[in-house]
Amino acid sequence: MKLFMQRSDVGDFRRRYHFMVLGVLVAFVMLTARLAQLQIIQAPSHRTQARRNVVGRVTLATTRGVIRDAQGVVLAANRPSYDIYVVPGLLDMQETWPRLVQLMGLGVTQAKELAAKILAVRAEDGKRKLQQMLLEVDVSRDVVAALETHASDLPGVDVVPTPVRYYPYGEVASHLLGYMREIDAETLAEHEGQNYRAGDRLGAVGVERRWESYLRGQRGWQKVVRGANRHAQRPGLAERYLEEPRRLEPIPGRDIVLSVDIELEKVIQKELRPALAGAVVVVDVRSGRVLAAVSKPAFDPNVLSGGEGKQAIRDAFDRLSRDPLKPLLDKTTSAVYPPGSTYKPFSALAALADGLIEPNSDVDCRGGYEYGRRFFRCTEVHRKVNLYEAIVQSCNTYFYALGELIQIDQLAKVGMDFGFGIKTGIGVNPESRGRMPTRAWYARRYKGDGFRGGFTLLASIGQGATAVTVMQLALAYAALANDGTLYQPQVVRSIETSSGLTVQEFPPRVRRVIDVDPTQLALIKQALRGVVSDPRGTAHAEAIPGVDVAGKTGTAQVSHVTPRSVDAKHEWYFNRDHAWFAGYAPALAPEIAIVVLIEHGGGGGKNAAPVAMRVVDAWQKLEKRRVASHDTADSKKAGASL
Amino acid sequence: MSLFARGSARAREHFDWPLFLGVMGIAIIGVVNLYSATSPYIDDPRRAGLADMYVQQVYWLVVGGLFGTLAAVVDYRSIERLAYVLYGFGIASLVLVLVLRSEIRGSSRWIDLGRFAFQPSEFMKVFVVLAVARKLAEDPRTEAKTLIDLAPAAFLFALPAVLVMLQPDFGTSMIYAACGGTMLALTRLRRSSLVVFVTGLLPVVWSMWHFGLREYQRDRILSFLHPEADRTGIGWHALQSRTAIGNGGLWGEGFREGTQNQFGFLPDQFSDFPFSVFAEDWGFIGCLALLALYAFVCAWAVNIASLAKDRFGAAVAVGVGAMFFWHTFFNIGMTIGILPVVGITLPLFSYGGSSTLTTMVGFGLLMNISLRR
Repeated sequence: MKLFMQRSDVGDFRRRYHFMVLGVLVAFVMLTARLAQLQIIQAPSHRTQARRNVVGRVTLATTRGVIRDAQGVVLAANRPSYDIYVVPGLLDMQETWPRLVQLMGLGVTQAKELAAKILAVRAEDGKRKLQQMLLEVDVSRDVVAALETHASDLPGVDVVPTPVRYYPYGEVASHLLGYMREIDAETLAEHEGQNYRAGDRLGAVGVERRWESYLRGQRGWQKVVRGANRHAQRPGLAERYLEEPRRLEPIPGRDIVLSVDIELEKVIQKELRPALAGAVVVVDVRSGRVLAAVSKPAFDPNVLSGGEGKQAIRDAFDRLSRDPLKPLLDKTTSAVYPPGSTYKPFSALAALADGLIEPNSDVDCRGGYEYGRRFFRCTEVHRKVNLYEAIVQSCNTYFYALGELIQIDQLAKVGMDFGFGIKTGIGVNPESRGRMPTRAWYARRYKGDGFRGGFTLLASIGQGATAVTVMQLALAYAALANDGTLYQPQVVRSIETSSGLTVQEFPPRVRRVIDVDPTQLALIKQALRGVVSDPRGTAHAEAIPGVDVAGKTGTAQVSHVTPRSVDAKHEWYFNRDHAWFAGYAPALAPEIAIVVLIEHGGGGGKNAAPVAMRVVDAWQKLEKRRVASHDTADSKKAGASL
Repeated sequence: MSLFARGSARAREHFDWPLFLGVMGIAIIGVVNLYSATSPYIDDPRRAGLADMYVQQVYWLVVGGLFGTLAAVVDYRSIERLAYVLYGFGIASLVLVLVLRSEIRGSSRWIDLGRFAFQPSEFMKVFVVLAVARKLAEDPRTEAKTLIDLAPAAFLFALPAVLVMLQPDFGTSMIYAACGGTMLALTRLRRSSLVVFVTGLLPVVWSMWHFGLREYQRDRILSFLHPEADRTGIGWHALQSRTAIGNGGLWGEGFREGTQNQFGFLPDQFSDFPFSVFAEDWGFIGCLALLALYAFVCAWAVNIASLAKDRFGAAVAVGVGAMFFWHTFFNIGMTIGILPVVGITLPLFSYGGSSTLTTMVGFGLLMNISLRR
């Protein structure tokens, strides 16, 4: 058989067949060439792309570390919040909406308001009606269960669990713990690629912020095989495309163990109830560890961390930032106050060190002290007082006389030895340095030599330009109590893994050993004990039997500056004196130092001292109970081993 | 009775085994490939129907085989006499489609007869081939022709091309033009006419682009030039198809192992992109074998034409061969990214009743001409 040979009357067609076959061949060679290009030359890159289509990575969430107190009580943890979202464009307002209202148990007015909102979004043209709209946050588990059961009857309704930070003790120790906030664009740009993403939450203040990098943890990932849509998945075929490593386990955040005792915090919270505003710090004089730090008024970190939705966060901040009592301010470290008479022990030590005063020589107090053309007032007429009596009865005249003898720079030097005017290094919230005025400071302040001798008189009774933080004062009294060791205050005791292994422990840190004459210090400590135990003492009336406290009261005058937001009828409050008590206990073998400040609380002896006494009392009882339970646990153990 | 007796005798003597085996070979591979293409749906209760597509395709092949046998046994000269009648019927159906406008995928291509819906534009391909062939056969002059001489034949495929374009179905319209054009190429054209034709074609193409094509058709063609620019729309189809074919590599991923198809990245894998499924499963080697089969059938159609005993037979053979060739070339060309995605099926590979029937009837005609050479 001969190919392409025309047999009949189709002569003009005949010459075309060869061309046609040639055309077919050329076309198929073209196709083949292109196939060779795709399947041989470019094959590796297409293979890569095909694998990339199929293999994806999903992020594995991590959990934030837990914060516990010294006894192991959880102070900050995580919980899921179930939030209800609706897609307005997909929601059937006739069928689905009434059912949803019923399942969620919404009130009539609330339902009406929300329905109006949804209808408003539906009426819009944009994309918004096809996006999820938050209906309610953190619904109860019963509602979640009801919605899950009826999920198929509720198109356009979604229940989304989101992790939320949870603070079981609410306002207690809130300044110390801090709260969480959503990451902002600036911070995100700063931490680009470092485990942070838009929408993440991070510690905003307090321990949550300072220990963020430990608490946070590290996200993991897992390779998964995925189809172009959820229908296309062939089981079994998947596995071989997952190259090793297939999974990076998320690393949970580290747990932080604080030195703080939440029971003590609660006691302080309770004792401060009559006061509008104030601060209390309790430290261990043998280590500088912070056992309690309370700032009042406080805030609820659960709300600020988003536990009740974004609107609640905005509302809370709005309210807190306008409050003249400054609830967001950590009054233990971020605010400064004139220490008043609580500073007198340090003035006395400065004068003793320079040999300017004799402990036993008297000063005659006639209700004040004349210096230059001014009369510096005392609280009352004390008559003849020596150093001991001057401290016990808090005689200002004695210290004015001392102030006339001493150089202000000497006062400041001893103050700074005890840590005033310098940050303590607690490292939790922003810290104020406070102020120890010197001649140089006055020169800067008043442009040239504006120094007057009267400034030294005021400084020696803790007034004038002298300003301290509550934390500084507590550590200084701790240094008095432990005979001269100034510690760095510590809030964090150790870091643990989520499984309870200790990663790092923080031993006490000594800032300095103060060069102080032991006999002189003993005199001061005797006087501080007298403040409470001596019948003449300013805090004697508040003494509790069996609670052996040494310390000093203080009533600090405030400069008449009323916050702007305060209305006139409350102005009197802001002009009242601050009430102080600073001390340590037990007086003869000190273990803790305590400072109580009640802002605008009036007299220190009447208002601050009783709080301190009761807190120390509570602390002693707590200690006793814990020792007892420890002992029984030990004896039980011993019994078992027998 | 005598007709059949003569027929069976001729069948034994002249039965075209190469054509039969070539077509059967492609059809079997096509069904097997269709099974692979729709196999991702086997375990999906909601789309289990799609996984049975290959069985349905076997039914269509059997029905198509019956129609093809019918087209083979009736003497093609009787068919020649009926050519214009069939053509008229086809044109009427196309007009009917436009009138009925049952919308499917943005264009109306179907006539719905309750249980069955069919695409007249598919059957029309055969009718166009028959009508153009008859027109060519009616003009026995063998000298070089002018454009005027060819105008009536050209009109025969231009009319349905326009009607189909209105549906709008750019791909099928192109197939009519390509098949008709190939058939016209059987005759000789005067050199001067050729020049006039080519220069005349340019404004026609220009105006077609601007006024004849719908927006989405232009998008399709343009996205072929820059598939990366449109990763989610039509360009995505082209891109995923290319990735699938490339992923096949030299030896292929293996039967039902191509990930692009198995994980749903190939759109229209049973209608427009079955070749991509095949290329991914069987690789370059498999493609080479398959293309050889297709090329052989095309060339064999030309051979049948060359052996035909009259002009009509030769023209029909070339027409059917051209239909087969252009479908194959356009479809594979678009899957490998050298032609725009225009929705032209791959004969015996793409799922579809109308197109399978049309293809089988076409091969019946080829067999007919081969039997009566």
